[in-house]
Amino acid sequence: MKHLPLWLRSGRVQTGLVIIAILAVCAIFAPWIAPNDPNEQNLLSILTPPAWADGSDAMFPLGTDSLGRCILSRLIFGTRVALTVAFIASFGAMIIGAILAHIAGYFGGWVDWLIGRVVEIWLSFPPVILSLILMVGLGTGIRNVILAIVLVDWTRFCRVLRSEVLVLRRRDYVAAAQLVGFSHWRTITREILPGTLPLLITLMSLEMGVAVIVEAILSFVGMSVGADTPAWGQMIADARQNIYEAPLNLLCPVFAIFFAVFGFNILGDGLRRSLDTRLTQTERT
Amino acid sequence: MTILAARNLCVDSFGGNESFPVLSDLNFTLVPGMILGLVGESGAGKSMIGRTISQFLPSGFAVTKGTLEFAGEDLVAMASERRRNLLGRDIAFIPQEPLSGLNPVLTVGQQMREHLLRIGLAPGEHWRQRALAEFEAVHLPHGAALLGKYPHQLSGGMCQRILIAMAFASRPRLLIADEPTTALDVTIQARIVKLIAEMQKRDGTAVIFITHDLRLASQISDEIMVLYAGRPAERGPAKQLFSAPAHPYTRCLQLANPTISGERRGLYILPERMPGLRVLKDITGCRFASRCPNAVAACTEAEPPLAEIAPDHIAACIRTEKTPEIVPPPLAPARNVETAKNYLQGEKLTKAYTVAWSPFNRNPKFRAVNGVDFTLGEGEFVGIVGESGSGKSSLARLVVGLDTATEGRLTLAGRDITANGSSEKAYRRDHIQMVFQDPQSALNPRRQVGSIVTQANEASGLHASKRERMDRAAELLAEIGLPPDAAMRFPSQLSGGQKQRVNIARALCSVPRILVADEIVSGLDVSVQAQLLDLLLKLRDEHGFSMMFISHDLSVVRYLCDRVLVMYRGEVVESGATETVFANPQHPYTQSLLASVPPDDVQAEWSPVLTETGYQVE
Repeated sequence: MKHLPLWLRSGRVQTGLVIIAILAVCAIFAPWIAPNDPNEQNLLSILTPPAWADGSDAMFPLGTDSLGRCILSRLIFGTRVALTVAFIASFGAMIIGAILAHIAGYFGGWVDWLIGRVVEIWLSFPPVILSLILMVGLGTGIRNVILAIVLVDWTRFCRVLRSEVLVLRRRDYVAAAQLVGFSHWRTITREILPGTLPLLITLMSLEMGVAVIVEAILSFVGMSVGADTPAWGQMIADARQNIYEAPLNLLCPVFAIFFAVFGFNILGDGLRRSLDTRLTQTERT
Repeated sequence: MTILAARNLCVDSFGGNESFPVLSDLNFTLVPGMILGLVGESGAGKSMIGRTISQFLPSGFAVTKGTLEFAGEDLVAMASERRRNLLGRDIAFIPQEPLSGLNPVLTVGQQMREHLLRIGLAPGEHWRQRALAEFEAVHLPHGAALLGKYPHQLSGGMCQRILIAMAFASRPRLLIADEPTTALDVTIQARIVKLIAEMQKRDGTAVIFITHDLRLASQISDEIMVLYAGRPAERGPAKQLFSAPAHPYTRCLQLANPTISGERRGLYILPERMPGLRVLKDITGCRFASRCPNAVAACTEAEPPLAEIAPDHIAACIRTEKTPEIVPPPLAPARNVETAKNYLQGEKLTKAYTVAWSPFNRNPKFRAVNGVDFTLGEGEFVGIVGESGSGKSSLARLVVGLDTATEGRLTLAGRDITANGSSEKAYRRDHIQMVFQDPQSALNPRRQVGSIVTQANEASGLHASKRERMDRAAELLAEIGLPPDAAMRFPSQLSGGQKQRVNIARALCSVPRILVADEIVSGLDVSVQAQLLDLLLKLRDEHGFSMMFISHDLSVVRYLCDRVLVMYRGEVVESGATETVFANPQHPYTQSLLASVPPDDVQAEWSPVLTETGYQVE
């Protein structure tokens, strides 16, 4: 284990990575893993109990929903939407937020003022309402879900990163780089970005968890992907009517969301602990 | 009656299955009214003694042998409840950083009240009365106004006075002052030291005064103990120890520090560094032997015992008679710098900041630098001295181009560079570079040393290949005296002195004609400081650059610089050849600065000017 980099040696990071790897395998190999077509309705066997209960059907290990669709298959296919949204949306939000944060923090003055005010106005909208309004305007579809999350959550990155950039900006090594003739672009990419990168990675990991939740909320109210694509939020919405007959139908997607968010959060927490310069051993000595 | 007595005290640090000696065989006794100076480089274990007394040791550290008795009670074996009662009441502390010694979110009054209630008030006495009386005792004016202030609204010197007032409020029997003046200006240092001495006389307190400055310690202490690598090297009456040091380490420390008066002499350069905790175990003989100029084979065979060489004066050296033979190297011959007197010239340079306008302040301008005239000749070292806030660093920022002057003119080799546009910046870049004060902040922790020192090659437009850069890095590292393999290390793997060398190498990469050095040796040990000062002189001989050397340490400026500018509140109040200014200061401010430095001659009277100018409540 000695040769592993410091951040990989953390138990939290390892746990998070294993969870995300399991989810990723489910998403990528969904057609091969899933026992049934997730959208195939089997009206002869609706609300089948799971494999360990009486009257179960071996074809449906976790039972079926009110339309006779296989719960397990839908869960597995739902991973695709969740992970796609988590990765792309958080990446997009990170790009926009990080670029604006570095510009604001580095140049300061009126640029900083302007970006700061935009972020404040943006943050004064309740995020869920804002994303619902955006979805109404943009229409459903996975691309629009991603866009909505990016447009809502970039402010989170911008705020936190800007203060970190401000701290690094005042370091003497940034002044030294300017004195030897570094351009602004080079100063930001070579001197400041390496310092903000750990925070950026950590934030992105936490943002992935947030993106999973926002997507679940949107698909719960039917504002996310279309009805023909299985998503966890939709499954919760579908299971609502039969909550007493088949509680597992509700619990399965809830647990899936919990599992994914837990994975991203513990990864983010582990990364923060090991990458944060204020905490690492080398920086202290 | 003894207040504090240490007998064969040993403190070890435990890591893994091993233990490392932190302090060994410590013996000392303190009687009421006595000041014991603890002197040594960083890492010698000075602060560890203070922490052992409070039993506030870092985790993994423990007392393994010996006793430490406070007024007859063993502090180590004592129940923690009992010790807590003693600390802050009978044993008081004055910390190094006055600002971190006070809670920033509570007012001075709240903290004073809490402390006074804890130590107990006389019946019928109100804490407020008492607080004001204590402030009076440490010469803090406007005590009533102070109670409502937060620490950040006060200067460092005032915070330190408040901490001294708190420490002495309980009339402690023992005071531990851990480098109480290191973070302060020279003039304030003098006042604080005098104040501690005055309060100590009033109450008959025994004091442990921890400092790295042997000269300061010899001025105020009755007895001095010099520590080296956790073991006492020498202990004796202060004046005797300073005028006739018996241990070669004491002598070397003394000679590594430049003088403030009399004839200038060379600096004794102690090679390398004090051995770290991990290697101490493998040293069989004298711990100082590897750096000692008098070492012989016998020194490495057995640890030298502490032997009495005069009444009350003991030293751990087997060749004490050879110590006086250590002499400083001869001073480098004076250079005649007659070429281009005004290579860099500033005329009426001013940097004004706009501060908040208010009806009471209708001209809201603060002039950090106010109409400064100066010249810098080729190959000339000019020192700029003054207290913090005098505008030294602001002037440096104007010269290197980090700020633009609001008025005045700055010319470099005949060309006007005041405007600081992109063409001036490019021109300036080839001629002026800066060495920053704090190596911790000046070196990017995520770059390797090789990449840091050749940063100039990376700037836009210059595309040096990796090979070229590595070659240049090796050249630079050889010049500043670091091993070639340092190029692959990160700044966190270097010591403070090595970092500062890297800092200098980066500035030298583009072969500038002028270096601007902002307090580059403050905060370093005297031995490291001496190494760096001689490095700068050596580099000047090789490259012939000139330097603006900003420092609050007058003796360093005296050693290094040909001319000196004295700044006060943004203005130059006196300038001239260093020797002339220091021997015969004209301006009262220069006189008070010089008087604040402890004299070289331990018998001489140290009478710093104790004006209270810096102490108004702002």
